[in-house]
Amino acid sequence: MRTLLRFGKNTRLRFVSHLDLQRFFQRALNRTGLPVAFSQGFNPHPLMSFASALAVGWTSEYEVLDFRLSAPMGRGRVEEAMRQALPDDLPVLGVRMVDDRFPAAMSLVRCADYRITPEGESAPAILAAVEQFCAAEHVMGVRRTKSGEREIDMRPLALSLEAREGSLYARLMLTERDTLKPDALLLGLASLAGVEAPRARVHRLCLLGENAAGENVPLMEWKNA
Amino acid sequence: MNLSQRVDALLERVEKPVRYMGGEFGCTVKDPSSVDVRYAFLFPDTYEVGMSHLGMKILYHAINAREDALCERVFSPWVDMAALMRAENVPLFTLESRTPVREFDLLGITLQYEMSFSNILEALDLAGIPLRSAERTSGPFVICGGPCAFNPEPLAPFVDLFVLGDGEVSTHQTIDAFKQWKASGLPREEYLRMAARIPGVYVPSFYDVSYHADGTIAAIEPKEGTGAPQMVYKALVSDLTCAEYPEKLIVPYGEVVHDRIMLEIFRGCTRGCRFCQAGMIYRPVRERSMERLLELAEKLVCATGYDEISLMSLSSGDYSCLPELAREMVRRFAARRVKISLPSQRIDNVLTDTLKETQKVRKTALTLAPEAGTQRLRDVINKGVTEEDLIRSVTDAFEQGWSAVKLYFMIGLPTETDEDVLGIARLAGLVRSCYLSLPREKRAPGLRITVSASVFVPKNFTPFQWAAQLRGGEVARRQQLLKHELARIKGVDFKYHAVDLSYIEAVFARGDRRLADVLERAWRLGCRFDGWSDQFRYDLWRQAFEECGVDPDFYACRERPDDEVFPWEHLDAGVSREFLLREWKKAQNAERTQDCRKGCVGCGMRRYEGACR
Repeated sequence: MRTLLRFGKNTRLRFVSHLDLQRFFQRALNRTGLPVAFSQGFNPHPLMSFASALAVGWTSEYEVLDFRLSAPMGRGRVEEAMRQALPDDLPVLGVRMVDDRFPAAMSLVRCADYRITPEGESAPAILAAVEQFCAAEHVMGVRRTKSGEREIDMRPLALSLEAREGSLYARLMLTERDTLKPDALLLGLASLAGVEAPRARVHRLCLLGENAAGENVPLMEWKNA
Repeated sequence: MNLSQRVDALLERVEKPVRYMGGEFGCTVKDPSSVDVRYAFLFPDTYEVGMSHLGMKILYHAINAREDALCERVFSPWVDMAALMRAENVPLFTLESRTPVREFDLLGITLQYEMSFSNILEALDLAGIPLRSAERTSGPFVICGGPCAFNPEPLAPFVDLFVLGDGEVSTHQTIDAFKQWKASGLPREEYLRMAARIPGVYVPSFYDVSYHADGTIAAIEPKEGTGAPQMVYKALVSDLTCAEYPEKLIVPYGEVVHDRIMLEIFRGCTRGCRFCQAGMIYRPVRERSMERLLELAEKLVCATGYDEISLMSLSSGDYSCLPELAREMVRRFAARRVKISLPSQRIDNVLTDTLKETQKVRKTALTLAPEAGTQRLRDVINKGVTEEDLIRSVTDAFEQGWSAVKLYFMIGLPTETDEDVLGIARLAGLVRSCYLSLPREKRAPGLRITVSASVFVPKNFTPFQWAAQLRGGEVARRQQLLKHELARIKGVDFKYHAVDLSYIEAVFARGDRRLADVLERAWRLGCRFDGWSDQFRYDLWRQAFEECGVDPDFYACRERPDDEVFPWEHLDAGVSREFLLREWKKAQNAERTQDCRKGCVGCGMRRYEGACR
């Protein structure tokens, strides 16, 4: 049996790195007293993974931890145990129990919703560039990966984009092959607007997966066909 | 913007924002209006170092366990953060509630190391608290404790009161006295008078120091009418099993130096190594019962989720039922994948049993501290370890699968000769031979020997408080001598300490009040984080000494006559001056003194009621 835990990462903890968060959750799971399943081998560790890593400095209300239990547990008990084990700034926002055959949360992620709030003088120009971005057929940009930089067309990777109340609301592809990071999007908008890329606050609103009908649904609601 | 938002704005711009973040699991945030006393606890070094400190964990827990008080943490902001705080007018703040430190009632500071003194001035300044206690008319009282409180004089003008000895009880007493004082409405100095009556509390402003023409001290006397005692005896907690100990801990996010459960199994040490201040000032030995330790371990594992417990003490191998404790710990926690580790392992214990137990769950590098390279010099320092002990320990360890050994030594010990220095290399070579003499299939691959040689710093309240520190040039020559000798042995890594830093440490380790001006001058010139070799500015320290007209050699390099009045003559750390002098004489004749578990050696602890059995 597995648990999908949706949690948030509040402003105060935005600088906690993904690696530190992994270590933190290992200990948090130890604290719960839940029958968490461990890997075999010389250095056993809890069988857990995050649906997607959140960059340092970002906040979120939709992070998903996927972990395995070695014995069946009720959803309510797991939720209560997780609430006890996490601090206020990592709030528990949902718990879903799934069976072992359910695909790994990580493999389901197709795209993510963000609220991106540019700051400083160039912010209005960035927001104004959204129209031009959406109207264009191609917007070329650079994707940085471990293996280097390569040119990509950003336009199809932004599934939706709008400017509202001083922020950008964007649904961006987030698969291994096709991914558009909020900072890359900002760079693209900045170059369209002819301004420097601004500092921005990035907040993840949702992680989504594609269902059998080809629709993007929030991960916690995703169902096998 | 409120302070928390202003702090947040700075965090974008510093190297390690997690240091200033707070909000960790297990920290205590109380409503300040619900308590009478607000206590800020400053560890004058970085978050990563301070969060590894057991004393802070104990006192944080003890203060927050009170309904009438709260305790919040403060660490020294790294230089990048300090610069930003000054530029943006952000005062030093606590992690829990991001409240300015100057708004607290008491500011407790732990003195672990002389080289953190400049950080204390830096912290006071960042907090907006006047540096000198005489200039303070409001704001928190500054209280210092920890091992360096036993030589408080260089900090005397900056600190309202020092607390000597164990803090579990005296910290509460300083808080109780504060409540009384606050309710009384009496002037600020009255709190100091009330505090001066607490066992272990030393109020430096209540004492006058007079000097001879040659610069040595003539007398230290309490000022009339202050009610301050002629002699301040350290605070002592006789029963550690009943003493407060945290049952939950803060679990940091970022990596800290010791990120695990620390279980103090006993306090004090009976070995009597003559260079070791901790071994003298933490006397007598007080063990925590096995039952209590197991209870604490159980609670802490559940409360923190840590998967490692470190059994802490000055000499863990001396715990009277260590094999039973280790066995029981392993039995209880192995299935829960909790590792048990034993730091600070001495080499003269029957290690085998214990090693077997701990090894079931974890293999760390074996750390041994022969301290000196020859038996003669080990006799001088009363390090009761022989070459045979060392050989037996490492052979046992290698047979059981260890392949990494760390060896700790000191250079510049009293009476040291080149033969003693070369003896260090000889021991390293012996360790290597022990490994090679085992059949290949019986030993773990990849032998690693680390030889670490620090520079000897004579400390007060040790038999070597009369000794001169070896001059820098000669220390450097001996370091090079050893380096060349070790280079001939394969697989040995040599680490040694900076000479200049140990020299300044030696000055302050036996300093008096006249060093306060030098300290302030050095800080004004830009000295801070002196314990960090990349930050240490020897040139600025030299300049500070010159500008203040103080000769550092007077403190570091001068052997004291037997009857010299020390700057700490009015403080009592438990061991008597007579005992220390006797030990100093025996050291010069390379005469050993037995471990006092084998019979009382008359160290003076018996003067404390109920302290020593």
